[in-house]
Amino acid sequence: MVKKYEITNRIRELRFFAEEMTQQELARRAGVSRQTIIAVEAGKYAPSLEMAFRIADVFGVAITEVFACKVSEIEGKKG
Amino acid sequence: MSYQEKRTIVNILSGVPVLIAYGIYVFIRTRSGSVEPNDLRFWGITMLTFIGIGVASGIILQILFHIGLSISIAIKTGDGKEREVERDIEATIVEDEMDKLIELKSLKLGFSITGTGFVIALIYLAFSGSAAGMLNIMFFSFGIGSISEGFLSLRYYRKGLKNG
Repeated sequence: MVKKYEITNRIRELRFFAEEMTQQELARRAGVSRQTIIAVEAGKYAPSLEMAFRIADVFGVAITEVFACKVSEIEGKKG
Repeated sequence: MSYQEKRTIVNILSGVPVLIAYGIYVFIRTRSGSVEPNDLRFWGITMLTFIGIGVASGIILQILFHIGLSISIAIKTGDGKEREVERDIEATIVEDEMDKLIELKSLKLGFSITGTGFVIALIYLAFSGSAAGMLNIMFFSFGIGSISEGFLSLRYYRKGLKNG
């Protein structure tokens, strides 16, 4: 059995609670492109720690409030 | 469609016509018999000319694209808000870690294709192929590698980079 780590996020929810902050506004404040925010929000891109901290900083919450790691076990050989 | 995708499409659009034009030009010249297969001076000049055309057309298209983009942002933002327009343009053309990672991964494919082309060119030479043939294989492998880079970038922007 191999552990599979999947990064999940609550960006959409946090944007909603931040007075429906737009992806463009979040991107601007985090210093990244809107395309990246779209990809991160959709779970298509796992950001670096620095970017994750920047996004969390925009919402004024801890990084764990924004990102979480879902661990699941899948069959297969290690490596 | 995002700025990055549009920019990549512009890059592809500047590369593909040049490669096709080169192929047609070379085909016509060799078919007409006006070129000696081993006239390396001709091939050197032709390839340099088309590389120059490719670079120049790429720069011109990028400039036109960025002018068009700035105008469209200015129209969207509205008149009399210069600072907001500048802010929106800056926010649109920002390059971050995902862009760099996509560029890196796409470059890897480009290098692989170019490297494979180089090996094929050497094999061609080893089997008594002409020097002009070898140069053409290398030229096309550079061109195809560069275009493939663009297509892979587009794919990554659409599908995402799952593993970061």
